[in-house]
Amino acid sequence: MRSGIVIVGAVALAVAGTAARAADPRYPDWPCTQAKVPVISLAAVWAGPALDDAETKWKDDAKISALVSKLSARKTPLDEAEKSVKEFLAGSATDKTANAKLLFAGLFDTLNAQRSQVMSGLERVSRKQREAADKIREETLALQTLQSATPRDEAKVEALSNELIWKTRIFEDRHKVVRFVCEVPTTIDQRLFALGRVIQQGME
Amino acid sequence: MLRMWRVGLLSGLALAAAPAHAFIAYVSNEKSNTVSVIDTDSWTVTKTIKVGQRPRGIDFTRDGKFVMVAVGDDDTIQVIDAKTQAIVDSLPSGPDPELFAQDAAGKILYVANENDNTVTVIDLEKRARLGDIQVGVEPEGMTISPDGKTLINTSETTNMAHFIDTSSRQIVANVLVDARPRFAEFKHDSSELWVSSEIGGTVSIIDPKKHEVTGKVTFEIPGLRKEAIQPVGIGMTRDDKTAFVALGPANRVAVVDVASRKVTKYLLVGQRVWHMAFTPDEKYLLTTNGVSNDVSVIDVAAQKVIKTIQVGELPWGITIAP
Repeated sequence: MRSGIVIVGAVALAVAGTAARAADPRYPDWPCTQAKVPVISLAAVWAGPALDDAETKWKDDAKISALVSKLSARKTPLDEAEKSVKEFLAGSATDKTANAKLLFAGLFDTLNAQRSQVMSGLERVSRKQREAADKIREETLALQTLQSATPRDEAKVEALSNELIWKTRIFEDRHKVVRFVCEVPTTIDQRLFALGRVIQQGME
Repeated sequence: MLRMWRVGLLSGLALAAAPAHAFIAYVSNEKSNTVSVIDTDSWTVTKTIKVGQRPRGIDFTRDGKFVMVAVGDDDTIQVIDAKTQAIVDSLPSGPDPELFAQDAAGKILYVANENDNTVTVIDLEKRARLGDIQVGVEPEGMTISPDGKTLINTSETTNMAHFIDTSSRQIVANVLVDARPRFAEFKHDSSELWVSSEIGGTVSIIDPKKHEVTGKVTFEIPGLRKEAIQPVGIGMTRDDKTAFVALGPANRVAVVDVASRKVTKYLLVGQRVWHMAFTPDEKYLLTTNGVSNDVSVIDVAAQKVIKTIQVGELPWGITIAP
């Protein structure tokens, strides 16, 4: 049991160590190996005509707004979303360019916002993880002191080591989730680019 | 007799109706460890071949019979039979081969090994290792001069294009370019060497006789930060009039007028556009787009993107049957 506790402490410290490292000094809380790109710039995904007032007006169009929410939802498969864009543009003969601009402006706004939310969530978790790591480190040291004390308070040792095992498990689970969520901003980039491309092709 | 004649006529018609541009392209997918085979007639993926780990550099042998693909994490180059589309052999590269270049005759292959600062020289007929060239720095981009006498190796540690004499296997000149040189391409008439710099954001044009930079191609896309423009792959038309430069996360290919060294157009292709290859008739240019996991087809004459084909994850290199 005692060696088990020592191992738990060591694992906790090792995991805590990796969590504390930031790749880019500008974003100390960014936990992902993927580079942090704070916002997608319009030019990276759009080579069509200037969006002008479509950037604000898309929200006033009920049909566009509804389509934007449907297409931005991660639960809508991308190929299905692409098909919806094609159908929508094919069905708007006279005002095709205006509709295309409105739709893209809506997607650009919505997906960029979705992305920012995911990224700030990641940074929030990253800060929490750092606090948890500090706590685990402190408690590991406290446990070591308790273990070497004479006489040894077995009840206290038991209680603290159980708590430490629990905290380490939560820490590791969160760490795994973070790695998974780190892929999400890229998935959103891919969706915005793919839909933007279909819209631009539909305008030609 | 009449019927036979008619059958002959019909089959002749069928042949004539077949499109003139049915070529086969092979794309290496770095993350999914596969090679996608694309038919340029239907513009679809007709086969996905499982290969070794981290496939990047890919090229047809000059006779069109085999496709070689560098699988870096398996420390080898695999050979795919183009007829059966199965792996039939491997070539003895050094550790972590990233890409390679072959001479005009298709007899000698030069392999850039990322991990041990060497270029391995391989006899393609015997499929045997002839020796190594110590380049002293991590080799990155590689190309051979049209006369086969000079091997160019770019290095991101030195930010230089190193000129290597292929007969003595010694470095004969070093030319400083902008940060992280990635890819090198000669004009077909050998008068210029173009080297792309991924971080510097430029293409340096070098006089290969004087070993001097004589000019630079620069890129500007309104609304995009400079660091998002990362030149990598370069393709030049056979008449040396037009160059295409892949700009990485700018998601665009720049069309460059070679004579004036100015960009005439930017084409939005896919995310993180990396390398490219022309069809042999030069009607089409295909680019690999690493983040959107697809290949864009550019109509070269119209300078327009006409098609997008989904491939595997992180498409890196592309080669088209001669």
